[in-house]
Amino acid sequence: MGTLIGLNCSTVECTSLTAPIWQDILAQAVTGELMAAMNYASLSEICKDPAEVADALEHAQIERGHAARFAAEGRKIGVAVPNNVDAMHWKRLREAFLRCVAERDFIGCLIVQEIMLESFAVASYARVGKVAPGTLGTTFASIAAEEEEHVDHAMAILQAERALDAQRFDDKLHRLHIEVMTTLAKMLAKECKDGHCEVCHATCVKPALFDVSLSAAELRGASLQKYLKTLDALGLPGETTLAWVTQLPI
Amino acid sequence: MTVDFALIGHQESWQAAADVLAILRGAPLPDDEIKDILPWIPPRAICHVEVGSSTGATAHGLYIDSFIPPDHLEAAYVQENTARVRAAAACAINLGAKIVSLGGFSSILIEGNFDQLPERKGTVFTTGNTLTVGLIVQGIKKMCTLEGRNLRRSTLLVVGATGDVGSGCARCLAPFVKRVQINARNEARLRKLAAELQADGVQVEIATGLEGFSTEADVVICAASLASPSLLLGRIARDAIICDAGYPKNLSPNAHMADAKIFFGGLGQIVGTLKFAPNFDGILNRHPFPRVVHGCLLEGMALALEKRFEPFSRGRGFITPDRVEEIEGIAAHHGIHLAPFYNADGPLEDCIAAAASFDSVNPGRGTVSNTRTQCQNTILLLNATDARSRENG
Repeated sequence: MGTLIGLNCSTVECTSLTAPIWQDILAQAVTGELMAAMNYASLSEICKDPAEVADALEHAQIERGHAARFAAEGRKIGVAVPNNVDAMHWKRLREAFLRCVAERDFIGCLIVQEIMLESFAVASYARVGKVAPGTLGTTFASIAAEEEEHVDHAMAILQAERALDAQRFDDKLHRLHIEVMTTLAKMLAKECKDGHCEVCHATCVKPALFDVSLSAAELRGASLQKYLKTLDALGLPGETTLAWVTQLPI
Repeated sequence: MTVDFALIGHQESWQAAADVLAILRGAPLPDDEIKDILPWIPPRAICHVEVGSSTGATAHGLYIDSFIPPDHLEAAYVQENTARVRAAAACAINLGAKIVSLGGFSSILIEGNFDQLPERKGTVFTTGNTLTVGLIVQGIKKMCTLEGRNLRRSTLLVVGATGDVGSGCARCLAPFVKRVQINARNEARLRKLAAELQADGVQVEIATGLEGFSTEADVVICAASLASPSLLLGRIARDAIICDAGYPKNLSPNAHMADAKIFFGGLGQIVGTLKFAPNFDGILNRHPFPRVVHGCLLEGMALALEKRFEPFSRGRGFITPDRVEEIEGIAAHHGIHLAPFYNADGPLEDCIAAAASFDSVNPGRGTVSNTRTQCQNTILLLNATDARSRENG
């Protein structure tokens, strides 16, 4: 029964007015997943343990699978889903990750991908999953759950690393926070102040999000909340991390 | 660092919330962003607190903000707010706090639901209501003295009388007044409290609506926020002494109650020191006098200074005059006393007199001029805030 209602809803709601909105949301998701796949592939190059190499490559494959599933959801509602990993903000995020790779900084790579980018993905996919119609919604929700598992996997490694030298770990995280979260905050801001993001197919999708029961403020809030909770779980002082987050661009 | 105490609180207004975020950010956030950001912040410690006793002892603690949005301080959001207080409590436990005081709405949410708190691992919780009651009662007695009233000839009205604070106030003041009127929404609980008071020979009237009382009440304690302050109009003596002990406080002097003496109750002042890091002084304690703190939070600080890490106030309806006397004694030992009077219009007592009074118990600390400046600054800040609130409609 639930599936039937979902499919009807999908057909009715996504073919006319809201399809271009879902198209842009999917484009951001596909771009993010492809970039994650590239990041894991790059990470595999600096892993020392063969098991870690295999793990990173498997993650890369999983992220490509996510991108394919999102693209398939686009086809179901009759839109082609573009992607652009060289788009302004995504490119900066990729460059930040590649700097960690160049420094053979495995922990830095995990912080960028698993703590920062995945917090953004898990929280925003979960919000989209709640309101998107039909299989579009269930796909976002199920990929959010899978991404959450990735984070759990990395948390154990990062917690062990922090236990060795908390101050050094926190300093590194803060440096990466300034580099990566500043870019993510600009992407999540209520208005794109740096011009077109180069992923949306026409004008910026953010003002139209209200038409699909979403808002840029909600996606930003949920993402930063997830990030703060992840940092809490790592053991960073809450007052420090809140100060970091409040200092991000708005 | 040892965490002797944690204070769980939240901001009462968007302006207060904006000020907190501005301190953390190092610059103000635009007004339209604050309401979008604050509700997403998970409960967490935002600053370190150090309290110094007049005995020379110090206790170290943390202020944990539950980030309840100021416009959610009402019954419709009980579930959401309880979840926030639980998360704040978990934060206090994880940080190893020995005793946790529940401030403001947190106390109201949890007083009857201590079992909803997370697993404790050596951390104890207190609602802080016993010291709040003590300070309210002290305030009533002091105001009666200042106004030349004979409490023994007075009729006491307690609004919100079946709550922990309201019932505690009724128990403590009933032996000193001619008659007691108790008001609350739950009639069964009202009857139970009335029976308890009557057993001690007190004349008691009960009513679930204020219109059910005669208009003789000349001493009023609002232990619950009134839906509308105008509800008191025509229901009490024109020149009544009114203690606004509700949360949030919403009674202010106005033309319709020109003869009434309204003051904010349940507040104490620390004679010793109170330091915040980062410096939230005047932000987390927004009062026109220095080192003034809500009684509920002061209780945890006093118990930490006394090294009595025990759930002094828990549950609802257990506050007795003996327990109030005990916590007042502990507080006084560490230089925690009734705060100078003020209300929404500002101080009711002269700042300088209050500072001089402070100096009399702290000779040689030269605080009069400091206090004068702090009072003036705070009053200017309050005036500016009020003006901005009016501009914002």
